[in-house]
Order: sequence, then structure tokens, then C-alpha cells
Amino acid sequence: MSAVEQAQAEPGPEAALARPADRPDRSPAARRRRRVRALTYAVAVLLSLFVLVPIYFITVTAFTPREVSYDFPKPFIPGTVSAETVRFFADSTGVTAALWRSVVVAALTLVLSTLLGAPAGYALARFAFRGKSTYRLLILSTRAFPIVILSIPLAVTFITWGIYDTTYSVALMHTGLALPFTILITSSIFVSVPRDLEEAARTLGCTPLGAFVKVVLPLALPGLAAAAIFTFVLSWNEVFAAVILTLRQRTLPALVLAALNTSPLPFRFAAAWFMLAPSLVVIFVIRRYLLGLWGRVAR
Amino acid sequence: MDGRRPEVLTSVSLTRRQALQLAAGATVLGLTGCAPSAREATEEQSQGSLVMISTQFQPVAEGEKMRSAVLAGFGRKVEFLGEEQGPFEDRIRAEAQAGKGSVAVIGGQHGDLAGLAADQLLTDLSDLTQELSGRGFHPDYLELAKVGGDTPAYIPWAQASYLMTARKEAVDLLPSGADVNSLTYEQLTAWGQRIQQQEGSRRLGFPAGEMGLLNRFFQGYSYPSFTGALNTRFASSEAEAMWEWMRGAWAQANPQSTGYAFMQEPLQAGEVWVAWDHQARLIEALKASPDDFVAFPAPTGPKGLGFIPVLTGLAIPKTAPDMDGAKDLIRYLTDPKQTATVARELGFFPPTAQQQLPEDLEPGIRAEADAIAAQSTSQAKVTSLLPVGLRDKSNAYNDVFRTTFDGIVLKRRDARQVLAGKAKELQEVLDSVKAPCWRPDPESSGTCQVG
Repeated sequence: MSAVEQAQAEPGPEAALARPADRPDRSPAARRRRRVRALTYAVAVLLSLFVLVPIYFITVTAFTPREVSYDFPKPFIPGTVSAETVRFFADSTGVTAALWRSVVVAALTLVLSTLLGAPAGYALARFAFRGKSTYRLLILSTRAFPIVILSIPLAVTFITWGIYDTTYSVALMHTGLALPFTILITSSIFVSVPRDLEEAARTLGCTPLGAFVKVVLPLALPGLAAAAIFTFVLSWNEVFAAVILTLRQRTLPALVLAALNTSPLPFRFAAAWFMLAPSLVVIFVIRRYLLGLWGRVAR
Repeated sequence: MDGRRPEVLTSVSLTRRQALQLAAGATVLGLTGCAPSAREATEEQSQGSLVMISTQFQPVAEGEKMRSAVLAGFGRKVEFLGEEQGPFEDRIRAEAQAGKGSVAVIGGQHGDLAGLAADQLLTDLSDLTQELSGRGFHPDYLELAKVGGDTPAYIPWAQASYLMTARKEAVDLLPSGADVNSLTYEQLTAWGQRIQQQEGSRRLGFPAGEMGLLNRFFQGYSYPSFTGALNTRFASSEAEAMWEWMRGAWAQANPQSTGYAFMQEPLQAGEVWVAWDHQARLIEALKASPDDFVAFPAPTGPKGLGFIPVLTGLAIPKTAPDMDGAKDLIRYLTDPKQTATVARELGFFPPTAQQQLPEDLEPGIRAEADAIAAQSTSQAKVTSLLPVGLRDKSNAYNDVFRTTFDGIVLKRRDARQVLAGKAKELQEVLDSVKAPCWRPDPESSGTCQVG
């Protein structure tokens, strides 16, 4: 239950019965509750604006003519609409191919890291073994190395293995980067799936694998999907590994990032919109699974 | 808890199918998406396309022009990829370590290539330099291309420089007796003051952000203009006067200058009315509305008009897969026809001793070309060269100028004290690579001595 819902639910049915509906409750406690509720709403609105206003301006500016995009302060409602910069950006060499590659890499990363990370998370959640806490720490430590230091050795390894400059190699690298999160998120999800359900399935004739597939997995699916979305976004936004491990087979951020640092403002907005839109679509599609996860954690 | 369990189960059975569909979809995407792209790569290699990476012409529109207007005429397919300096160097180093390269030609500024040349990762281009001697390259550039060694590590490709640009409305506020085309450093500050008085805000602009090129302003413009030299007069009394001037100019500069990387944007937005920057970082403003902006030469100081040309070069990594193809590409790109196209489309000028510019330049590029020509032909000019023998210490060298600016101008510490401390740091950098002096400093017999 969210904080907002809690605040709404608090007065309870008795409070509503105790006073006539047309006269507002003026007791100090009720006033305080109203203040808390107003404050909660205000914070929620502020947080939403914090995210939505930049997205709004990026979208609006991406679709205004070049000359107008320099205006400051920006008008809230655009006077003229033009897809000129966005179209030029989309038509420039390699952008559509790179966009597709980005989707492929993110999807591959999602599948690989779930296939590898979920069993590890399950092991962490269900079994007690020697060195478990060290293992947990070690998983995180792979993220402690700044990838900048690793760039040349990584590229050298990938070249000598002959997997340099391929879509797969980037997906492999992104899987490596995403695994720590996948393992930790999934392990906390498996912990929340009651062990007695699994045991009940065993007593009713399931094999360990059968119990996992038929009972645990369905219960954990919302959480797994949430971990997957996290992985998708991580891969979608990753630039450094993608730049150093590819040359022709670039993902969208790898292709445009260098260009954008030195490109005029209208192109930056166009590219920002291009990066933003697909990930927003994916997030909207999987949003309900995310709610499943947070609902679980809140309990 | 127990009471809620069925609810969870029902909500799961709804979402499970969708989640499975999602996973299946993702797998299909992966399988179908990757196979063709991998095939594409091998096909292209067999067709013999060449890969060229470049720290120049990275912006989206410039990259497109490079491909469509310049490289399209080369007999073979060239994949032109823009890259930032960090990954640019890392990639060549990684390919060298692995002993297997896919990059045929690299293009970059002198500073981008110097580190690779110092580590012997670039092919000796003596033969090509000899063969292309008819192109009329500026002798200084040929010397620069040796990167402090004996043999050329790259071939000059294009040159660029720095200049001033102002909004037209600012020109009306010039102090009496001042002319944009022969401005002095004092008049620049007075101009800023006048704009502030009339408009109520500080409208000079310097690219002092992290990605900005302010260090070149000191190295190639203000130091030579005030001291007639650079390293050898680094902590002199003339240098103190220069920093004093900078403090005054900074007082008229938009406080947001510490965040600026490219001055074209604040100029176009009107936050800044008068700015100094690299020509490639001003061109958008001049191209978009040539009637609203004026390009003019950098100001003149007590010792003359300091200015610095920037050289861009083409090199071949030792690991290049197709050495002959790479050399062909360099022959093609340095051909006067192609360098004229680069000037016309991209605004970088041929690196020749005699200025060779096409007649039909668009107004914005023409304005820059004229301002830069005014700098390089000025009676009072003090020409600087990019640091010649710094090898991989370019960044350390630039940092000294940046931190001196921080100390004296931003933190307002005592100029003489800061300069004394920084002079030692500067000497350490020069000593570490035993760099001899370069112009405008007088020639030195050994390592350049900071004065």
C-alpha cells in the first residue's frame, strides 16, 4: 500500500459515521491528518513534476524548428511544430540500425542475465552455504571496478577472442554489468516466496524442479519482470562498454554520444527524445509487474 | 497473510502469460536481430570497406557531410565514425596490444595523435609525405607532424583557428574609438562594461567549462599578446598584467561562463553577446543567422595579436588491415579538391602555406575565414604553434593553465604567488618530456626553461 493510500485510509469508517457528512471534522487530529495528506500529495506532485517536466521539454523542443529551440525561456506551449531535426537525426547514417541493435542488445542482456542471475538469486535465498555473505559481497564487488580502467584490457581480450565488434559481445558485457543487480533483486524476491508452499508441493509429489517451476516461479514472476526491466534500462543506457567493444556494430547511445557532446542543441534534443521514447514504452508495458514487486516489498 | 494468498495467485496467473510472452518475444528479437547484423559485418569486410575513425567532424550534421560530400567520391566504401579522444586512443592502443586491427585511417588534432605517435603506434609516413610534397603544406605543419621525432607520424589534413564573435546589437555599444577589426584587450573589457551598464547584465563570454577550450586562449592568445612569448615569460611582470586584465574581463563575463563548452549556444540564446572560441564552436551561430552576428579577429595586446592555428592530421595505425588502401584514402582526402569541399561544407581550411579557399563559401564560413585571415595576416601578429614535444603530457600542460586561472581569477589569490608556484609545475611537465621551446618562445638548446 502506498503512502498516499495509507493516508486516505487512516480516518477509518467509524470516523465517517461519527459525524454528519456535511460538516467537516474540525478536531485537531483531523486537521493534522488533512495537513499530512496535503503534504503527501504536494510531495508526490513535486516528484512527478521533477521527472515529467524535463521529459515534456525534451519532447517539445525535439519537435520545434531549429531556430526556436534556442529561445530562452522556453514557451510552455510550442508555437510551431516541426519534425525536421528528429527526421534528420533518424535519417543520418546508422541511426536506425543502431536503434535496432540497442533493442537487440537490451533484450539479449535481459534474457541472459535472467537465465544466469535468477538461479544464483534462488540459491542465495534458499540455501545456507559456507561463505554465503562473502559471496554476496563478491557479487557486488564486480561493480566496484570502474570500467574506464578495464577498457583497454577488455577490448584486447575481445579482439583476441574474435568477438570484438559484434552485437553479442556487447550483450555479454552488459550481462556481466547487470548480473549483480539481477542476483540481489531476485534473491530478495525468492526470499519473499513462502518456503512452506514449495514444501507442500514436494509433499504432493513434485520434484524439486517441478516445485520450483510450478509454484515458486509463478509467485516470483512479477519480481523477475521487475528485475528484467531494470536490466533492460541498464543496458539501454550503457555507453562506455558499448563504445569500446564495438566499431561498426554500435548501439544507439554508443553511436550518438560522441556526436552529441559536440552537436548543436536541436540535435541533442532530438537524440534525447529518441533515447527516451522506446525505454518509456517498455517501462509502460512492464509497469504493472513493477507494481507487483513494490506491493510485495511493502508487505 | 494467509487471507491474501489467493489474491496474489490470481494476480500472478494473469501476469504470468504476459511475462512469458515478453520473454519469448525478447528471445525471438535476439535471434532474428543478431544474425543479419553479424552477416553484414563479414560481407562489408570482404567487399573491402575501410574504417576511418576521427575526433573531428563528430557532430551529427558534420559526420553526414563528411560521408556524403567528401568520402562518397572515394572509389571504395569508407565507414566514417566519430569518436571522442578517450575511446579514440584506447581503441588504437587495444588493437596494437591485440596485434590485430580493423581501423585503417585515423583523423584527429595534433594533440589527439601525439600520444599515439610518442608510443610508436603510428606508421612512419615519410614516403607519403615525400610523395605529397606538391600539395603545398605549410612547412611548420610538416615539422609539427613529426611530433618531436625524426619522421612524420601524420599528414596535415585541415587547419582551424580561434576567433571572436559578437551579436550585432553589441557592436552598437562599442566604446568610442574602438573598431571590432582592430580591438585591443583593454577595449574588450571596456566594451563589456558598456554592455553591462546598458543592459544590466554581464555579456562577455569565455568557454571556461570543463569541455571548453579556455586554456588555448591563454596559450595562444592572451600570453603571446601580453608577453610576446609563452613558457619563457610565464611568471613575468607582463604575465601578471595579463592575469590582471583577465580578472577585469571576467568581471564583465556572464557568470555562467564556468559551464560553457561551446560559445555558439549562449551567443544564439543571447546570454552572451561577445565571445572567443574555436571556429567550429562558433559556426552554428554564424551559419544559422549570418546577419545577426559578426566574426572578427582576436584583440591585440601590448606585444601584438597572438593567435594559434590548430592542425588536424591523418595517420595510419601500425595495425591497419589494409595499408595501401589507407594510403590511398589519405591521398584522396588531402587532394585540393577534397580539402576545398571540407572548407565549403565543414568550415575547416586547407593546411597549406598559401591560403587556398573556394570562392563559393557560404556567408557564415566566409565570415570566419575573413576574421582568421585578418589574424594571420595582421602586421602585429604573434603566431603560436601547438605544443610540439609534449608527447603524452598535453593534458598535464593544459591543466597548469587551467589551475592558474582558477587560482588567480576565480579564487582571486595573489597573482605573483600563484604564478611562482605554477611556474614550477610547468617546468616539471616540460622536464618530464624534455620538451624544447616552441613558437612564440625563442628556440632553446635543451628543455624549455619557464621564466
